[in-house]
Amino acid sequence: MDFIYTFLSPGVLSQIFVGLSRTVILFIVASGLSLILGVLRIPNVFHGSLYMIGAFMAYTICSVVGGDAGFWLALIGAPIGVGLVSLATERGLFQYLYEREHIMLILFTFAISLVFGDLVKIVWGAEYKSVPVPQVFQGFVPLFGGLPFPRYNMFLLFMGPVVAIALWFLVNKTKIGKISQAAAVDREMVGAVGINVSWVFATVFVIGCFLAGLGGALVAPTVSVTLGMDHSLIIEAFLIVIMGGLGNIWGALLGALIFGLTQSLGILIWPQFGIVFPYLAVIVVLLFRPTGLLKSTW
Amino acid sequence: MVTKGRIGAYAGIIFLLALPLFFPRFYVYIASLILLYGLLATSLNFVLGFGGIYQFHHCVFYGAGAYGAALMLTKTGFSPWVGFIVGPLVAALLSLILGLICIRLSKLYFGMLQISLGSLVWAVIYRWYSLTGGDDGIHGISVPDMIASANGAYYFALIVTGLSFFIIFKILKSPFGSVLQGIRDNPIRSEMIGVNVKRHQLAALVISGFFAGVAGVLFVVVDTTVFPDMLFWTLSMEVMIMCLLGGWFTFMGPILGAALIVLLRTFISTYTVYWALFLGIVLMIIIFFLPNGVLGYFQEKFRPKKLVKG
Amino acid sequence: MKKTAWFSVFLVSIVGLFLICPSSYAAGTIKVGIVDTYTGPATAYTQDVLDGFKLAVEKINAKGGVLGKKIEYTTRDEKFKPDIGLSMAKELILKEKVDVLMGTINSGTALAVSDLAKKEQIPFFVTYAKSEKIIGEKGHRYVFNMNENTEMAGRAAAVALAKKPYIKYWIAGDDYEYGHAIADAIMNNLKRLNPKVQKIGESWWKLGEPDFTPYITQMLAAKPDFIIIATGGSGMVNFQKAAKATGLSQNIPFYQHTGNELGTLMPQGKDAPEGVYGTANYLFYFPESPANKAFVDEFKTAYKRYPKASALVGYMTAQFIAEGFKKAGKVDKEAFIKALEGMTLPSPVGPLAIRACDHQLELPTYFGVTKRDPKYVFLVSGDNQIVPPKNYMPTCEEVLKLRKK
Repeated sequence: MDFIYTFLSPGVLSQIFVGLSRTVILFIVASGLSLILGVLRIPNVFHGSLYMIGAFMAYTICSVVGGDAGFWLALIGAPIGVGLVSLATERGLFQYLYEREHIMLILFTFAISLVFGDLVKIVWGAEYKSVPVPQVFQGFVPLFGGLPFPRYNMFLLFMGPVVAIALWFLVNKTKIGKISQAAAVDREMVGAVGINVSWVFATVFVIGCFLAGLGGALVAPTVSVTLGMDHSLIIEAFLIVIMGGLGNIWGALLGALIFGLTQSLGILIWPQFGIVFPYLAVIVVLLFRPTGLLKSTW
Repeated sequence: MVTKGRIGAYAGIIFLLALPLFFPRFYVYIASLILLYGLLATSLNFVLGFGGIYQFHHCVFYGAGAYGAALMLTKTGFSPWVGFIVGPLVAALLSLILGLICIRLSKLYFGMLQISLGSLVWAVIYRWYSLTGGDDGIHGISVPDMIASANGAYYFALIVTGLSFFIIFKILKSPFGSVLQGIRDNPIRSEMIGVNVKRHQLAALVISGFFAGVAGVLFVVVDTTVFPDMLFWTLSMEVMIMCLLGGWFTFMGPILGAALIVLLRTFISTYTVYWALFLGIVLMIIIFFLPNGVLGYFQEKFRPKKLVKG
Repeated sequence: MKKTAWFSVFLVSIVGLFLICPSSYAAGTIKVGIVDTYTGPATAYTQDVLDGFKLAVEKINAKGGVLGKKIEYTTRDEKFKPDIGLSMAKELILKEKVDVLMGTINSGTALAVSDLAKKEQIPFFVTYAKSEKIIGEKGHRYVFNMNENTEMAGRAAAVALAKKPYIKYWIAGDDYEYGHAIADAIMNNLKRLNPKVQKIGESWWKLGEPDFTPYITQMLAAKPDFIIIATGGSGMVNFQKAAKATGLSQNIPFYQHTGNELGTLMPQGKDAPEGVYGTANYLFYFPESPANKAFVDEFKTAYKRYPKASALVGYMTAQFIAEGFKKAGKVDKEAFIKALEGMTLPSPVGPLAIRACDHQLELPTYFGVTKRDPKYVFLVSGDNQIVPPKNYMPTCEEVLKLRKK
């Protein structure tokens, strides 16, 4: 019994909650990646760059509009901006490459991430950027034995389920969702019944990238917006998607949960090598379930 | 045709041997870098292009070889030459361990698990200050006088890479190599005719890891330093780009790719800080128009009948 | 074997192309090669080094240069990768034939290039890498350190903190060389100056950690008197944001090296936490001397922004290079080094000297606490207290002892 009490001590509980709010960001970004992987079969390495661009766009919108209105506008505007960028990329480049091998696509998307990395530097410059936390979410609430929990993280915890439900609705209840599910399984058949597969793919791609932008806009108030914030995220997002099962959105949620929680609890267990735990989790999962926890779409 | 090719090959060898006589020190240094990156890319292509295994994080073995040698040279009293042999052996051993874990998976899953494990190795080297020097790396490693000068290092790299290329080439031409390429083209059929697919792939991974380790040792000789960045995933991407640029399904392609990347990097960065932008654009163009790489393109153009597609 | 033939043709033609490319320098100039990171988060600091350097060089060249020669410089972006940085430094030395090397915010690159500079006998000015090893353990005749290192920052902070009444300290920081080095330096010196001080716990997070809240909760639960935060780069801003969001900055005082510096405070605007202790080696608004004001005006006119600490480093490095050659009377590396040893130059923060024994620039440190100021759209450092170099610099004997190891 003592053990359970220690384990559920306020410190640990609050650690778990913080891990969860990190999970939300990971989930939003990874679900977009998973969607694109599942339907288009593109391992999108520049998904991380889009996340970074989303954060930078949020910064621009916030500093132009200012105040809380700026934040809400950024939350909508930045993902849309990212969506437009991705639409141009898809129509301009990707639609010609769907039949290529994965390894080619990985390198191609890596090439785009190199280009985007430098473009961001040209457009926004090298300075650190910071997006203020909106007035409503400033400060913290005492939680678990009085330990403070930032209001903004509460907001993130709320956003996670919202995005998950919206995605579920989109995939299962809308026409485009159903078509894309079918296209993921057999794209020739979908084409054969007279649906313009190319535009279905474009739509799915843009939605996936929209999520990357949303993740960037959501994370912006909690960190400094800098060049290179894409690098660490993209590997984590890929691992989450692989762990959850390629193309499975609930898998992305599960993967993000495991990743976020092993990270925040790992810190408690062995601070110096806390970084290692999420990777170990991935290895363990893949050893026992080589194609991920949930059913993958391919 | 054969004689003409021979003449070209001999001319190339003579050119490489005489290079330090005619070129200033800096170009000799660049040539050494091209050789070692060429070997690294070739060792990757051995499993990627010829074996069809998605080895995404190849640089782990490159770094392991370099750290293995560097630690032997700085922390033990053995002869440096022992260190040069230990490095690749460490890399091969690591390759065996990672291979045993990953081999059950295929394609993208293999690659991602490999990146995950590789990142783990990177994290350990990055953290283990007392042994590896952490993020600062190890500097000023002293190598035997004979190969310490720019020319000495170049000839050492030339001999070692030449020998390695020869061995890799022979392996590819051997029955083992044919089986490996058979597995790449049709794993199920290979399984059916009684080939132990996993065991062959594992052997290929170990060989590839060993030669990546040799490239790591060459880096230690040429630059006398090691850094944890040598095991970071972005470098693995760059090495894959080298393979792609030159051509997957050719033996010399990766070497050409390595030469192109090293030269472009040196050449372009003297003009602009935006060389990632430039590299990205070049790469996009290549993937768009020359999916088989530069050398692959020429092969296709001049010998259309013999083209082997993967 | 046709492939081989093609391959040789390619190689020869590319190498040929490469050889034709002319060296970008004119004759009869003093050539400075700069290797630094101009990609990623570090750029926020390195750009100021470069701009400060440019500003001074343009002034020197406008006055006719040094010894009748203009100073020319070229930059290379090492992208925070030591192997690329080292290969670029080699290119600068062997191909461009630079007289002086400078640069880099990356300690790994700085150490590697320093080793090369020693072999090639080229003076190398380290501009923003903070490893103590550069002039300590791995120091040599050809390397100069133009900014504070972790040991200096730690000692300066310890000198100021020892006067405060805090006893129970908590240590936290980025889990990499810089974080540990700076934390160790503060703690060791603090214990030396105030034996009552004790460390009640520590926490380390991975470099680039996006969320500090779990660590902050841990610290709040432990209730220390004071927290030392050893972060660098973007971690500075990230931690301050988290400290404000969780209320840490109102509950427990904490210290960060460069926590009161422009590079950390400006990005946060008015939202930065108040009451954060920090040390900085340059503040553009303090001391309010005419020399400092003149430099700030000049920098602002040229680049439309305020100079950070790194701008001062670049600005002074250019002047030391110019004066060094002037005093040597010829473009000779050995004479140049001899001339620089012990040289003192006027600067925006008063006279600065390069110590002869270890080639370390002696910089004053400003200890202050963040506060709002109606004059600026960001927070500034208040209650500034000057810690002069003589009060905190490691002695020559201490540094030279490290080199013998």
